[in-house]
Amino acid sequence: MLKINDLHVSVENTAILKGVNLEVKAGEVHAIMGLNGAGKSTLANTIAGRDDYTVTSGTVDFFGKNIFDLEPHERVGEGLFLGFQYPVEIPGVSNLNFLRTALNSIRKYRGQDDMSAADFMKLIRAKADQLGMAPDMLKRFVNVGFSGGEKKRNEMVQMAVLDPKFAILDETDSGLDIDALKTVAAGINAQRRDDTAILLITHYQRLLNYVQPDVVHVMIGGKIVKSGGKELAAELEEKGYAEVA
Amino acid sequence: MTKQLIEAYASQAESLHGILAGMDDVRTSAMSSFLEQGFPGTKNEEWRYSDMRAFHKKHFELVSGKSGIAIPEPLGDYCARFVFINGRYDEESSDIGQVWKDISIRPLANHFMANESRVDELIKGSDSVSLLNTALMRDGLVLSIPSNVGIGRPIEILHVMDGSDNAAAHVRHVIELGEGSSVSIIERFVGDDSAYWTNSVLQARITENAKLRHIRVQEEGANALHTAKAYVNLGGGSEYICTNVALGGAMSRFDANVRILMDGAQATVNGVALAATGQSHDMHTHVSHLSGNAVSEQVFRTIADSRGTTSFQGKVTVAEDAQRTLANQSFKALIFDKTAQANAKPELEILADDVKCSHGATVGQLDDKAIFYLTSRGIDPETARQMLVSAFVAEALEKVDFDDVKTSLMGRIASWMLERNADKGTGG
Repeated sequence: MLKINDLHVSVENTAILKGVNLEVKAGEVHAIMGLNGAGKSTLANTIAGRDDYTVTSGTVDFFGKNIFDLEPHERVGEGLFLGFQYPVEIPGVSNLNFLRTALNSIRKYRGQDDMSAADFMKLIRAKADQLGMAPDMLKRFVNVGFSGGEKKRNEMVQMAVLDPKFAILDETDSGLDIDALKTVAAGINAQRRDDTAILLITHYQRLLNYVQPDVVHVMIGGKIVKSGGKELAAELEEKGYAEVA
Repeated sequence: MTKQLIEAYASQAESLHGILAGMDDVRTSAMSSFLEQGFPGTKNEEWRYSDMRAFHKKHFELVSGKSGIAIPEPLGDYCARFVFINGRYDEESSDIGQVWKDISIRPLANHFMANESRVDELIKGSDSVSLLNTALMRDGLVLSIPSNVGIGRPIEILHVMDGSDNAAAHVRHVIELGEGSSVSIIERFVGDDSAYWTNSVLQARITENAKLRHIRVQEEGANALHTAKAYVNLGGGSEYICTNVALGGAMSRFDANVRILMDGAQATVNGVALAATGQSHDMHTHVSHLSGNAVSEQVFRTIADSRGTTSFQGKVTVAEDAQRTLANQSFKALIFDKTAQANAKPELEILADDVKCSHGATVGQLDDKAIFYLTSRGIDPETARQMLVSAFVAEALEKVDFDDVKTSLMGRIASWMLERNADKGTGG
């Protein structure tokens, strides 16, 4: 599904990623753990296509395509989703309009017709309900006036509606109280299927108590220095990054 | 002004004697005042953002006839449509519907004839462009809405120019609302590609508890010059809601002059201006609170592309007696690059002590983070920019109460944005 080979990335001429190798297959959940500045978010944003990240060498293969040949919105059409660490507020654009435009843009990319307004409303109401989002939040402007938890919940509703094949969730667990964390975890677990894959980026083991990863990677200094099973997360929590790596 | 220009304008005014009954003396005096002042220059603070150079160089002359330009579709459902071609009422393309049963519609000529003794006080405007309008007006509508009559759908007044370079149209409309009445007027301006000048004045008297909705859509031809004024007097508990949308022309300017004469009135003057390369749109407001317990709101949103300019000068004055006034003004501009320009000059002059007044002005660019957020959900960058632009202007269009008209306007804004994207090639 996703294969990263010796990826080097700079931001404003400073090398951040220094040779990342990673392969995620369908049906798997991977977690990348690491301290601030290790390059975790850089990896997520590079895959999603933010333009202030410069790929200096290496490849990312996404469903057999060179991901860097695709514009950010085309990557989404191919099945990518990035859950933001800091979801952006967009005054004047309602959640409903945003999601409907997004869903129909993806359908258009895939050569499908627009989803009817009625079907869309049915879908989004069901997903919002599953994730405990109040219906009136859908009418509000995207993330405007949302609490930290509400923003992350909104990311989960977006993921559920857009139904990506491959989701990267960048620090989706940060700043959440325990109830919000459980909701987010439920959203992730609902998206976990044989035909999908998820890459979790996190500081802490906390989320991994609710979403069991198949593989855990430790990232330090722009490289993945160690990989293992879910027990690696517990080890990190106990002993700290310095000792484990 | 050059001697030639002075002579050209003076003789034009003279040639109109006898055309509007009762107007001759007023014309003569307006023309002599105009000739004393001349066109404003950039040193005139009120006009510093309006490029008036063309007016100092050449004579814009009244034209006759029409060449058969296609009349555009209406913006939305209307109850009557009045079409003016090259400044003259065109009966053939107008559609007065059934509205004449409820309201009085007269040509300008009859209006002044019937009020001959007080034409002076009926005519508004003492700045040079309004004076020239007074001196050279040939046609216009006088709409009187009887007390307690409410007209649901808007009346569209369409101005079409299909003249030639240097053609001018000076039109004047007079709207009078009886107590407790309401009406909606869409003033719309279109034209061909010639370098013509539209100079329009609308004056409205809104008496007690009456309500006027005024939607202006300026989509003149690419080389047109457009100057326009609205003079509005508000009675007790009455309401004026103006939305000005400036899209076309090479240079456009709109002045709203709103006077709150009695307690409890509400005035809203909103505006959207989109300036593409080489275009300039200038919007001025002066809301005078002469009486208290009144509310005024102004929301302006403008966007300037490369080498485009949008300007806003918004003045609120609160007289000593106008206690418990609420006045808010918000101006936000987007500029697409360093060569785009946005000017803002809010002015507050408050003599009363028990008032709440606010104003704010910001200039910024489209938010890259927001564009990336939208594209990261599968939306292509052109659509993403269009969504953000639509969201940006939406607040200033909020008071357009007719969904079909609002949809037409939003459609124009979306296609303006698509043209910008196309100009810059794919991907913007």
